[in-house]
Order: sequence, then C-alpha cells, then structure tokens
Amino acid sequence: MGAARRRRAAASVAALALLAALALALAACGGGGGGIEGGGADEAPQVQLEGKPSGSVTISNWPLYIDEGTVAGFERASGVSVKYIEDVNDNVEFFGKMQPLLSQGEAGGRSLFIVTDWMANKMRELGYLQDFDQAGLPSFTRNLREELRSPAYDPEREFTAPWQSGMTGLTVRTDLAPDVRSICDLFNPRYRGQVEMLTEMRDTVPLVMKCMGIDPAEADEGDWLAAIDKIKGAVESGQIRRFTGNDYARDLTSGDAAAVIGWSGDAVQLQADNPNIEWRMPTEGCILWSDNMVIPVGAPNPTAAEAWIDYVYRPAVQANIAAYVNYVTPVQGVKEILERREPALAKNPLIFPDEEFTRNCTIQPTPTGEEERNVTAAFEAVLTG
Amino acid sequence: MPRATESRRGPGTVRIGRRALPYALLAPGAAWLLVFFVVPLFYMGRLSLESGVVGSLEFSWEWSNYTDALSLYDEHFVRSFVYAGLATLFALLLAYPLAYVIAFRAGRWRNLLLFAVIAPFLTTYLVRTLAWETILADQSPVTKALDFLGLAPGGHVLATGGAVIAGLTYNFLPFMVLPIYASLERLDERLIEAAKDLYASAAQAFWRVTLPLSAPGIVAGTLLTFIPASGDYVNAQFLGSASNQMIGNVVQSLYLKQADYPSAAALSFVLMAAIMVVVLLYIRFAGSEALMGEEPR
Amino acid sequence: MSGARVAPAGGREGRAARAWRLLREHAVTVVAALVVVYMLIPIAVILMFSFNDPAGRYNFTWVGFTLEHWRNAFGIPELTSALWTSVRLALLATAVSTAIGTLMALALVRHRFFGRRAANFLIVIPMATPEVVMGAALLSFFLILNAPPLGFQTLLIAHVMFCISFVVVVVRSRLIGFDRHLEEAAQDLGATPLQTFRLVTLPLIMPGVLGGAMLAFALSIDDFVISNFNSGTTVTFPLYIFGAAQRGIPVEVNVIAMILFGATAAAMAFVTWQQSRAKQMAAVHPQPEPAPLLHPPSREVEQSVE
Repeated sequence: MGAARRRRAAASVAALALLAALALALAACGGGGGGIEGGGADEAPQVQLEGKPSGSVTISNWPLYIDEGTVAGFERASGVSVKYIEDVNDNVEFFGKMQPLLSQGEAGGRSLFIVTDWMANKMRELGYLQDFDQAGLPSFTRNLREELRSPAYDPEREFTAPWQSGMTGLTVRTDLAPDVRSICDLFNPRYRGQVEMLTEMRDTVPLVMKCMGIDPAEADEGDWLAAIDKIKGAVESGQIRRFTGNDYARDLTSGDAAAVIGWSGDAVQLQADNPNIEWRMPTEGCILWSDNMVIPVGAPNPTAAEAWIDYVYRPAVQANIAAYVNYVTPVQGVKEILERREPALAKNPLIFPDEEFTRNCTIQPTPTGEEERNVTAAFEAVLTG
Repeated sequence: MPRATESRRGPGTVRIGRRALPYALLAPGAAWLLVFFVVPLFYMGRLSLESGVVGSLEFSWEWSNYTDALSLYDEHFVRSFVYAGLATLFALLLAYPLAYVIAFRAGRWRNLLLFAVIAPFLTTYLVRTLAWETILADQSPVTKALDFLGLAPGGHVLATGGAVIAGLTYNFLPFMVLPIYASLERLDERLIEAAKDLYASAAQAFWRVTLPLSAPGIVAGTLLTFIPASGDYVNAQFLGSASNQMIGNVVQSLYLKQADYPSAAALSFVLMAAIMVVVLLYIRFAGSEALMGEEPR
Repeated sequence: MSGARVAPAGGREGRAARAWRLLREHAVTVVAALVVVYMLIPIAVILMFSFNDPAGRYNFTWVGFTLEHWRNAFGIPELTSALWTSVRLALLATAVSTAIGTLMALALVRHRFFGRRAANFLIVIPMATPEVVMGAALLSFFLILNAPPLGFQTLLIAHVMFCISFVVVVVRSRLIGFDRHLEEAAQDLGATPLQTFRLVTLPLIMPGVLGGAMLAFALSIDDFVISNFNSGTTVTFPLYIFGAAQRGIPVEVNVIAMILFGATAAAMAFVTWQQSRAKQMAAVHPQPEPAPLLHPPSREVEQSVE
C-alpha cells in the first residue's frame, strides 16, 4: 500500500514537472513567431501597382452595406472576380480577430476591408495598413467630396478612402421628448432614465464635450476625462438608462428611451416605419465619421483592390449604393443623379447634408497613444460600472 | 455452449487490456482538449504575465495584472456569482418539473418536448433577446403586470439586474433540463410504486426516492448552468445597465475595447480559479458520488 | 400519480378536496406546461414579426401583414450561405463531440485510473473560460502552427473543443448509478464487449447521449465569440446576424429562423413516428426480454402507472 502510494505521488510530481517544463518551453518559443503580441512597422508599406487589374480579390465589409448590383458590375467592368464577404460586424471585434494576423503581416486573404476612421488610424499606427498608390485612383481623387479630403488623421488620404459617411447626433421621439434639441438637453432631469448614449466612445464623449463648450478637435486628455466624468455623474444619477450599440433603435420604437445619441443612417430607416422618430442636428453640432476602405499589409492583389476603390467612386455606381444604404455618400455628383431617380432621397438632409447643415459638426476625433489608453480605460470604467 | 466465465471473441475484435481501457476511451477527448484547449491556455498564461501595449508586448512576469484584477473588479465578481447563482436556482426550479414531465408523462411527445427546450437556440441569441425586449418593453402589458405584482422596481424590467438574471435563466434553461431529464429517465417507476405501496405520500415518495436518485442530474445541471453563466457577458450587455455589468463584460472590454490583452488574460485566469473554488466547495457539499460516480468495482 | 388510496371518512370526497387533489396531481404537469410556454414565447414573437412588412430596415414596429418575406425567404444570399455553414458546422461538431464525449464519460464514471481526478478537472475548465480570451488564444495557436487554414476546419475544431465538456457532464449524470448487471448478464450470454456496448449499454444511456448531443448542437449553432475569432473569412449565422444588426436585422432572418425551427420539429416528429412504428412492429414480433431486474414485472403495477 505504502509503495503504491509513493509511486502514485512520484508520478504526480513527474507529471507536474513535465507540465511546468512544457509551459516554460512554450513561454520561450512563443515570443519570436508573433501571436497576440508583436508587429509594428516604422514606415508604412506602399501598394505596388502591377499593370491592369486582373485575377481575384477578397473584400471584407459590414453586412447590408452594399446594393445588389455593384459587385457584379465591377466584375464585368474590370474582369476581376470578387469574393465579397460580410464578416466585419464591429470595429473592435474585427480588430481582435485580425490583430494576430496583421501583426505577422498577413490579412487572411483579404485585399481590402472597411473600418471606421479611428480604427483605420489605429491600424496604421501599428503598421498594419498600406499606403495607396494614387496613380491607381483617378476617380477617387477627382470625386471625393471636399469636406472629406483632409481629416486630421490622414490629411492626404494616403491610406483611407471613405466608403460611406454618417453623422452622430440626437435621435428623439418627437412625442416623448419634443424639446430635446441639444446634447445638453440629454442631461435634463425631466428625461431621467429615458436617455441612452452610445458605447462608441469617440461619438459619445466628443458630443458631451461640445455640450461643455469644448471643441473636440482641440481637446486634450483633461478635456476628455472631464467629459467622461460628466457622463459618469449622469450614470450614477440614473439619467442614462444604458449604453447601446445601435440597439437603441428598438428602445426608441417602444418608447423605453425618449432621446438618444444616435446615427443618421439608422434614423432614415426608423422614420420609414415610425414617423414620430426624428434625427436632430444638435445645436452644438454633430460628429462626422466615415467607414473607410483600407488595404492591409499582406493583401494579395492590391492592384485589384485599388481598382475597386476607384470603381465605387464613379458617381453612377455610387448612386446605386447610396440609394440602397441611405448613409451619407462620400462622392460628388451623386445627388444630381438621384434627383432624377429618387427625389425624396436627394432632398433628405440626412443623406445629402449641405455645408450649412453640418457647419458645427466635427470630424470624429480619436486620441492616440498613452492618451488613448487612459481615456478608453476611464470611459470603459463608466460603461462597466 | 460457451462457459459463463468466457466470452466469445469474434474475428476482428480488438483486444484492449482492462487496464488500458479507460485510457483508450479517454484518449480522443483528452487529446483534443489538451491540444486545442490546454496549449492555448498556456499562451494565455504567458500573455497574462506580459506588459506593454498591443504591438510591443513583452514578457515580464507582470504579477500586477493579477493583483489589479482582484482588487479592481471584486464587485463584479460578487455580482457575477450572485446573478449566476440566482439564475441557476431559478433554472432548477423551472427545469425540474419540465424534466419530470418529459421523463415520465410525455410518452409520444417526449422528443418534441425536448426539441421545444432547445428550439430557442435555433433563432440566434440576438433575435430571441430582441423578441424578449419587445415583450418586456416598459409599456407592454407583461411589464405592467409584473409592476402590479411588485416585481418591477422602478416601473421597468429592462436595463435592470432582474432582466439580466431572467436572461441568464432563460438562456441556460436547456442546460438544466437535459441533464435532469437524462438522469430522471433512468429512474425505474416501480421504485416509486414500491414506496407508495409502503404508504409513502406523493411528496414523501418524491423527496425520498425520486429526488435523491436524480441527484446526479441535478448536480450536472447546476454545474452546466452556473459555470458558463458566471462568465457570461452578452445578457448583461443587452439587458442590463451600466450598474449591472458582469465579469465577462469587463473581460470583453479589456480585451476588445482597451486592447489590454495581459489584463484580460489575467482576469480570465482569476475568474476561472474563482469558479473552480466555488465548484470544489459545491462538490464537497453535494458529495462526490453524485458528481464523480464512485463506482463500487 | 396515484396516491395511497385511503377511503375518506364518510365515504365521499367534498368538491373542494377533490379539486385540491386534482390540482396536486396535475400541478407538476401544469407547471411544466407553463415552462414550455415560457420557452416558446419569444418564438411566437419572432414568428409574428416574420410576417411584418416594414418599409425601413428595422423590424421592431408592426406595420402590416405580408407573405412576401416568406415567399422570398432565401433572397439574401449571404444570409442563406451563413445559415447553411452554421447548420453543417453544428451537425458535424455535434457528431464528433458527442462520440468523443460519450467515450470520455464512460471512462470517467466506470474506471478508477491514475489521472482520473485531473481528467475530471480538465472537463470542467473549458466551461469556465471566458470566450473572448479563449477564442483569441486558440486563434494565435492556429497561427503559430500555421495550420489548418482559418475557416471551416478551425471552426469545427473550436466547436468540438467547447462542446465536449457539456456532452461529458450530461452523459456522466446518466451513467452514474447505471445498473451494471445488465451488461454482466449480456456478457454471460456470450456477447463480446463491443456487442454489449452496442446492444445493451448504448441504448440504455441513449437519453443521456441524446441530451448531450442536443446541448452540443445548441451551443454550436449559437456561438459567436469563439467563432468570430477562428472563422477566417467564413461567415456563420450568428456572425452575420450580429453584423447585420448594425443596419437592421432583415425580416428574412425571422423567416429563416422559423423555417429552421419547423424543419427540426418535423424531423423530431418523424423520428417519433418511426419509433412508434417500431414499437408497433415489436409488439407484433416480440423480442426475448433481457434478464430480470430487481423483481419480476407485475402486470397490475404496470397498468396503474399511466
């Protein structure tokens, strides 16, 4: 009995020692090859164009963000075959799953994908994106709308090409919150428990900064943290019911929420079935953002990817996309085309806002580096309680 | 005629020695879990001891990741275990009658009832949660009835801890029903009859015969509910407010939003350890026979 | 459920007493019926909104009745292919994990061997691991190995991995207290171990195996986080839906969910019908009964139970 127990104990110890050794071995060898950590380049790689586009290309986009005919039209016009997949469901989720690949210079077969401004910026800083060769993008250079030509994070549009744009502002129930017209109105105790804000930090906090009189484009870390503090106060007082993605839409339709921070594109869809829901430009102004086409490192066939970017910047093509998606199109000349086809769309300021409409709007700011970490941690602390 | 102590061996049967048999049975599953779970777990372990930011993480035995996890999020741990515990309790109370009926009274309808138990999963989490949100909207008759019964403090159900617990209960109900059903179905009804023949009332027959014999199912169901529910994030995300977030939400936030992979990994290990402690206490309390099946052999 | 029948004094039960007795007898069934209703309420709502006709892309407000989305249920090709991927994945993952898990459960319950405690521990830990870190770690692991290519294969591996634990726990609860005498009797009658397993053990543990399989299927078809990390460019049904939710979940999603629901219900009903037919056949051609259990079955006892 004693001998058997000693043998078992010895075997246990041996097993544990083996496991520990394995752990250390993995710890040692896991460092070189990449994995979750690693990556980062000093200079952004450049797309090398190779003559006429040909072959095949894989594009990752958000679901329901394109009309039915554009992919086929591109294939016909260019001779390139397209694998169009809709696997971007969220900026951070997409980043989470692409980061290990991109840090090794791979893109999983994708030649192009679409992410929001700040994510494109973040990826660029980590060295995950390629710069365009402008020679392959004549339509893009010609037709990009003026307001979108020089965002702070990519002033020469070297690595991003807007796919669609949008505005973040107030979405209200006109019957439940008729006089909510500014971000500051969201803090009115009259609407306690009926207000919702977005989990997207770069929409919510800059808008609250506007309410506090701070210009988000010039804000420093202290300003961000002050705005986050104001939001925290609203959470603790019960003013804010909850923080949402675009599931605020359901809360608005049922009246659980009376006024929210929301996106213009959603409002266009909601209004069709709920005439008492309205997107309002806050008196302080809105936040302008774009979802952008970017070419990652390790993209196979970047020539075809650039051909795609250029193709969708033809006004006729973009008109089809805009008519289906109903966000703000980044291409000039589309309004005129749609004025003939679908006048109601052309007149909608949420789809074709003029400069007067967006005069107070700020392009979505994003902190970087250490500031980003501190600000994000503070905001997330408010969100998770 | 073969003797009782011999068994015929047909052509082509594999001879596995008795001592090697358990290892042979265990091998495929253990191999799969070792390769595709334990090894990645080591990577997670390594990650949890790193410091720095995405793109420039380095291994530095950063134990502060663990101490931070314990100190910063203790409230979330408690809340997660309370929510998961309550959800497990409610699921048990709802699941047992259903499992009982499916096992003993369903007859031909058994398969369809079992199907009804997992049918909600065919609709994907988001769709069925949105359906629940429609049912439990502030102005809906259901919510008004709950408010009348005093079950809706503040006049609304959604965006409260109660909604999160309800969501957990609903989504983990199949995990409670199926093991209890499997365990109950084994029960020989003649044992109950025997008890009744010995003048036990229905209640006594239940408490002294049925319930103990279904204990393995109950233990299995509570484990299958409590353990994953503790780490759940999606119910709190959609049904809760900022003050109802669970540890799973914090891990999501750390990993995805803040890209703080080391902290997320460390917090995950702390959560796993905490769950294991609770489970070990539970096994001790429930008696390991019900869990491990100490076979007299 | 018949209680011990003791004639009430006076020989006649009052109406209230009888009502109370009926309630007690059927209470369990009533509660169970309510639980089933509770499980199916959202499905009723989803069904209702599958007939909705919204002008916009959100499906939250009832606008009007239409069969258009039912007629055109598979009109969104990406949605349909995502569904097909998920169904295939779930079926395969269920099959593999149920087989592997059942074998593991057999080993863990019936044998005492070195490493049993560790194996029991190993089973439970995957259930406790937060999915986001698990998914990311697995992804990194696949990348380090540089194989298999990210896509269906990695999804399958990941799904089997997290399903095994659940199958083991369910089958284990069925196996505990399992009467080994039946197997011994079969072996005494000359069955090989494999025959014993196939003809005696497996049918008797089938409810547990089936329960584990159903759980595995439910887990696989509904998984989001781990699938998101390990799917490469493959899109599964939950992945599509979470993404589509950004623009508005189309009505076709409700329709397809109902079709999936209906198809699986029909399959279950078919299986039930086959089983009752098999029973009828067996009644005509009776098989020899296995060795007697605790005591010989009594006709009166069997009839009084239902």
